[in-house]
Amino acid sequence: MLVGIPLDQSNNTVKPKECASEMSAYIVEVAETRCKRSFAKVFNYFAPRLRSYALKQMGNEALAMELVQDTMSNVWQKAHLFNAEKGSPSTWIFTIARNIRFDMLRKLQNRKEDVCSDDLWPILCEQTADANEASLDQQVTLEQIGYMFESLPVKQKAVIEAIYIDGKSQQEVADELTIPLGTVKSRTRLALQRLKGMLHDND
Amino acid sequence: MIKFHPSPEQLTAFAEGTLSPVESLMVSAHCDMCSRCETRVADEVERAALEFDEPATSSHTEDQIYKSMFASITQVPADEATYLSPKAAPSAIELDGRKFELPRTLRRYASSMGNWSGLVGRLWQAPVDLGEAGVAHFIYMGRGGSVPEHTHRGCEYTLVLSGEFCDGLNTYDSGDFIYMNGEHTHAPHSDDTEGCLVFSIVDQPLHFTSGIARLLNPFSHLFFR
Repeated sequence: MLVGIPLDQSNNTVKPKECASEMSAYIVEVAETRCKRSFAKVFNYFAPRLRSYALKQMGNEALAMELVQDTMSNVWQKAHLFNAEKGSPSTWIFTIARNIRFDMLRKLQNRKEDVCSDDLWPILCEQTADANEASLDQQVTLEQIGYMFESLPVKQKAVIEAIYIDGKSQQEVADELTIPLGTVKSRTRLALQRLKGMLHDND
Repeated sequence: MIKFHPSPEQLTAFAEGTLSPVESLMVSAHCDMCSRCETRVADEVERAALEFDEPATSSHTEDQIYKSMFASITQVPADEATYLSPKAAPSAIELDGRKFELPRTLRRYASSMGNWSGLVGRLWQAPVDLGEAGVAHFIYMGRGGSVPEHTHRGCEYTLVLSGEFCDGLNTYDSGDFIYMNGEHTHAPHSDDTEGCLVFSIVDQPLHFTSGIARLLNPFSHLFFR
């Protein structure tokens, strides 16, 4: 499989600065000539480091290796997006790994948020999301609420007004109107149901 | 001038990718407008990447995994798609004939946001669906526009995109990053002749504290959530 491409660990002892320019050169080589030998240098240097970062972040060997693989795949496929003037190879690869981790975690937690790493850190993206017309209904204005409020039966309106506008407790309202507490509660419930119904009809 | 920034901890967590998606979105949009924070985040990323300068060893088993990983990665050709030029996405939103340029992070929402709807008091809002993270809103306060006084059950993040507004606690200018929680009661309003556009995310319905707006409480999830 890997005939002629030695997977040695010799890069581990190289000083960071020299290493950065050396790695930069390899990545550029990968971008320009798809050179597997150059990619092997980058891969051998970063894969174990990525694994140790990923293990700390994900706490799981399988996920850590998935993160290593996804990150290095991106380095291989998108090497042309690396720009040595903007930062070191370490920084670039770190940001790729960070983004993949961010999206992996969201997926693991089953959170289908519309916030993905490409929006936050567009280091590898040139594509923009499709413009899907999201139409949110449930739009009501204060005026409409006021109108709906006016249309409530008088008794319900009095209770709602006392509780929600004057901020009185249900007991206070009961005392004031000399009606049982249970009646205040049921009028409140009925009124809110009615308002809810009107809000839905409004859609 | 920008006076309100995310905390140093938020900036670090954002750089490391450990901040929550919603907070990340707000911090990211703020950094688009604030070069100070943008620089700090870049510094933090560099610092975090120093971890890769440390030596790392691998066991024989791992080496075997790396070998097959290397083989499968290099079987795939370069990503041609990335050579395509980016599709031009709208970078501004419009309201009442006025155009507002959006910070980069929020641009994708220019095409997916819902319609503007008028609320009371020269107040307009348009929802942005963030899936399970909730609903964010672009909120526009025309001159003299105001949001009824309210407190928060959860957290409210607001980024001023254009113009300025005050809320009885402070005055906020374009780029300001504002965080509010249950401890804060405020009543935002804008006296800016140009009005004020903000982007706001609330993770729990607001709780209105005064006047007829109290009537909104049972339904406030329909408004600002």
